[in-house]
This record gives sequence, structure tokens and C-alpha cells, in this order.
Amino acid sequence: MNNELLKVDDLKVRFKTDEGYVSTVNGVSFSVEQGETLAIVGESGSGKSVTSLALMGILPANGEIYEGAITFEDKDLRSLSKKEYRKMRGDDIAMIFQEPMTALNPVFTIGYQLRETLIVHNNMNKEQAHKKGIEMLETVGIPDSDRVMGRFPHQLSGGMRQRVMIAMALSCNPKLLIADEPTTALDVTIQAQILTLLRNLKKNSNTSIIIITHDLGVVAELADRVVVMYAGEVVEVAPIQELFDNPRHPYTRGLISSIPKIHDVVDELYSIEGTVPNPSNMPTGCKFHPRCPLADIECTKVHPELEYISEKHAKRCIKVKG
Amino acid sequence: MKYLVQSMIKTIPVLLLITLIVFLLIRVTGDPVSLMLPETATEEERDSLRESMGLNEPLPIQYFSYLGDLMTGDFGDSFRYNTDALSLVLERLPATFELAIASMVVAIIISVPLGILSAVKRNSFFDLFITGGAVLGKAMPNFWLGIMLILFLSVTFQIFPVSGRGTLGHLVLPAITLGTGIAAEMTRLIRSSMLEILEQDFIRTARSKGLRESIIVNKHAFRNALIPVVTIMALQTATLVGGTLITETVFAWPGLGQLLVQSVNLRDMAVVQAATFIIAIFVILSNLLADLIYRFLDPRIKYE
Repeated sequence: MNNELLKVDDLKVRFKTDEGYVSTVNGVSFSVEQGETLAIVGESGSGKSVTSLALMGILPANGEIYEGAITFEDKDLRSLSKKEYRKMRGDDIAMIFQEPMTALNPVFTIGYQLRETLIVHNNMNKEQAHKKGIEMLETVGIPDSDRVMGRFPHQLSGGMRQRVMIAMALSCNPKLLIADEPTTALDVTIQAQILTLLRNLKKNSNTSIIIITHDLGVVAELADRVVVMYAGEVVEVAPIQELFDNPRHPYTRGLISSIPKIHDVVDELYSIEGTVPNPSNMPTGCKFHPRCPLADIECTKVHPELEYISEKHAKRCIKVKG
Repeated sequence: MKYLVQSMIKTIPVLLLITLIVFLLIRVTGDPVSLMLPETATEEERDSLRESMGLNEPLPIQYFSYLGDLMTGDFGDSFRYNTDALSLVLERLPATFELAIASMVVAIIISVPLGILSAVKRNSFFDLFITGGAVLGKAMPNFWLGIMLILFLSVTFQIFPVSGRGTLGHLVLPAITLGTGIAAEMTRLIRSSMLEILEQDFIRTARSKGLRESIIVNKHAFRNALIPVVTIMALQTATLVGGTLITETVFAWPGLGQLLVQSVNLRDMAVVQAATFIIAIFVILSNLLADLIYRFLDPRIKYE
């Protein structure tokens, strides 16, 4: 693992609320290698988006990392000054978000918002940045990109806006791109286009990607390796093929079972019963036990450790052996 | 352009209604003749004065002849000054504008930085201090603030003149007096508007791009937060043109408000009608201006 780009070690994030601190990410560890695409999978509330915001250093004002380390290219991100961290954002690490409709500033043109990043990080003047901006729009498949530069976000469709977001994120050649549910808010046909775009990026550049999603279909399309999160913890880590072939954690199995299969005729789609527990009221022992088909009395008492069953495959469950 | 023309046409019924209301109100609240003639005047003397002023005609006839004159730009003559009412009003306009603009400048200088800062540092001691101060600023009566300012800055320390109009120094105290209340309201509005915008997704995007916090706040957020603030600014400017009477009185500022109240007291009908008409036009114009600024600030409005 000498070409490790990002290493997250025992990351814990908490939010200050009226009822005191609530911890939503509880000791998450994973790493991303250069050129690798890592998927972080989990339901809403599993802490996957908070993890990504923590990596970017843009947690909301009431949130903070209270334990753990984030290492990016041998730099400890938590020890960076605000200014140093800011200079990395958008340059070395870039991010695209779930909601393209609201992620762009409504009162500035696309061109303005694209140029901004380039001017800040690449020391370009306005004209250079404008040219590069047009180029980037062409790269992400926006026709007529010259004119689109002068448009406002509301004049573009959701898919176009997400392309603009991607163009913006890629404009400074980031080493790591974090895509937080990049296709969730889009129509299925547009989803496919955006996925193709990301796949081409993966193929044609050495950019590492962290894709955060609840959609295992997206995972299968893009990821090399998968981290499954549940209730602020990593419950399983595995290479993509192995995860689908041999899922070890009951939660992962549940997620895979709930994907509809085109040749099977079923009356009702499978779903994991219950919901993700509230961070302020976590179950004891294994956090998944209230929803787990395998759980017994031991699971309510023992909080399982993440255990490596092979070099690249880890699970957090005491019931499933090996 | 089409929008402008449409808006102009829409203002005509509004103006007509205002002329009618003012016309009726000034006639039902008292008789100018009894104020103009000594108490000992006989009934015949009063009647003949009424007749010469055209006040003995039925109200509808009076109203339509007033409207007819209005079409030619004739607002009638002041009973008191025996001159054209409109030119009396227009004479006062520069003073009124001067004070309105200066007050607005004071309000903006105070409220923009304070509103932004207290949103950025929300729930801090500073924020608490500013929001508390804003309540105080809003609650403070203008006449009291004006008198206090005169007491300290004109009488005790003699930095600014006590009253009247002329130099820039004359403008300072009345502008602060009027500006403070508006600043208080605008500070609260800018704060809450900024708080809302700072929560938006595009602010998170701006952060993820590695922009400086000052750019994010002052450009990305403020530009959006300004949209609701402009409405209030327009309404306040309109109020400043018409309703600064107390401050004008405290500082003996020869503005429109002062003229209007004098004329109401004397039942100087033509002047009251001319002044309210001009004020109404300014209220309409400032709303129109706010609309135009809106369109400039928010590109989404143009195309809908």
C-alpha cells in the first residue's frame, strides 16, 4: 500500500445539539489508493455524507472531528491551518454534491462560478480561466459550451448542472474527487450519462474517486472497492467482486438482496426491516442487532470489532464466521 | 421596457384613488374659512370667501374641477402663501431628498457590516449585542434621539449646528437621527437573510471550491441575501420622503414633512393635495425602482 493517497483512521465526528453532543461518525477507518475508486455505501443516516464533509474540512458550524486522523499524501489534514486546508479544497481534493439544482449559486453565471476556482488555485487571469472553463465544459459533454458560460444555473437542466458541477470539480485536476450521491437527484437516463462521465474520468486519469451512494447499482458500475457503513461505523470492506459474491455482514447481504433482479418474479421486493437508529439513541452491542436476522442475546451485549477475514476483506459481525 | 410601461399604467388608478381620499379627508376635517377669517366675521363674509374659493360648490363638482386642473399640472394656489401650491412643494423637495439620501447612507453604513457580522458570528456575544442594540435602535423615538444628539453634540460639545439647513454639518445630526431606526430594522433583516443563505447548498459548494471565507460571505452569500433587503430599503426611502416630520421639526429642517403638517393645520387644501400627490408618486417610483433592482440582483426573475 505504498501508493496510498488518503488514509482515514478512526474518524469520529460529532454535532452539538440542544441535547448535547451527538456523534454521527464513530471511528471510521478506510484508505484510498491512487487511481482507485472507492464506494462508501449505506442508508441515509449512516454517516457517509458527514464523513465526506469531514474529509473536505467543511462540516457545518456545529459539527467537529473529535478524534481520529486524516492523512492525505503524508499530510495530516487535521493539523493544517485553515488557510492551508482551504488551498487544498477545490485543488487537490474536490467534491460534487447530490443536489445539482441548489449546489450552484443562482445569482452568478456558470462562467463566473467556473472561473472562480481556476483563478483562486491556478493563478490564471480571467481570460485564461474563461478558456479553460469552456474546455472543461466540453470535457464533461456540454454542447455549445461557449454560450453556457454566460448562462445562469436556472437556465440549465438538472443533468446539465451536475455536469457543470463535475467540470468545476475537475477543473484544477484534483488528486481526489469526492462524489456525494452524484446521481440520486437525477432522472434515470441522466444518471446513466453522469455515470459514464465518471467512468471515463476513472479510465482516462489517475484521479482517485470516493463515491458515496446508497445505490449498489452505482457501486457495481464504478467502484473498485466498497466500504459499507451503518450507523456511523464501517461494517464491511471488500473489493467489489468479492462484496457481491461473498458478502459477510448481514447488513450487506440485506442491501444486496434488496436489489431487484430483472429475471426473478417476486411478489414483494426484499427490504431490511426497521430503520437506521437515531445517533442520540444507539442500540447497545452491535448497532445492527435490532434489524439483524442472525442476532441473538450476545449481539445485544458485545460491540463487534472490524475483523479482517482476508487481506482485503473485513466485516464487523460475530455471528458470521470466516 | 414593456414592464415599465405596464407598471406606469397600473399606477394611474392608485394615484386617482389617492387624490380622492385626500380631497375628501381634507374637506371633512375642517373648514379653511373659519381659520382664515377672524372669529367676529359675519356669516355673509364667510359665505362670500367660500364662494371666491369655490368651496360652496357640491363636492363632486369641486373634485372634478380639481382633477381637470390636475391634468394641466395645476394644483391650485395656497390659501396661505397665495402662490402656486406645486412650486411650494417642489421648493421643499431638495431638502427632503438631501435628508432622505443621507439617512439611507447612514443606515446602510451601519446595517450592512453589522448585519453580516452578526450572522457570521451567530449566537456569539457580539451577535447578542448587535441584535439587542437593534431592538433598542428601533424602539428609540426619533424625537428623543434627535434631542439627545443636539444636547450632546451641539450644545455640550458644539461639534454640529443645532438646527437648520445649509452646510454638510447641518445634515449630520438629522441624518443620524433618521438613519438609526432604519439601520436597526435593516440590521435585523440582513442578519436573518444572511443566516438563511449561509445554510444553502451553494455556500457549501463555494467552500468546497476553496474560496476565501470573506468572498463566500460578502459575495456569494450577501448578493443573495440582498434581495429581500432591497424591498425594505425601497419602502423606507419612500417613508423618508413623506414621513420625517418629527425629525424635521426637531432640527427645523425645511422639508416636505414640515410643509405638509403646517398646511394640514391651516387647511391649506391645495398644498396638502399637491404634497400628498408628490409623495405618492415617490412611493410608487421607489417601489418600481426596487422591482428593477430585484431584476438586476436575481437573474431568475427576468425570465419568468
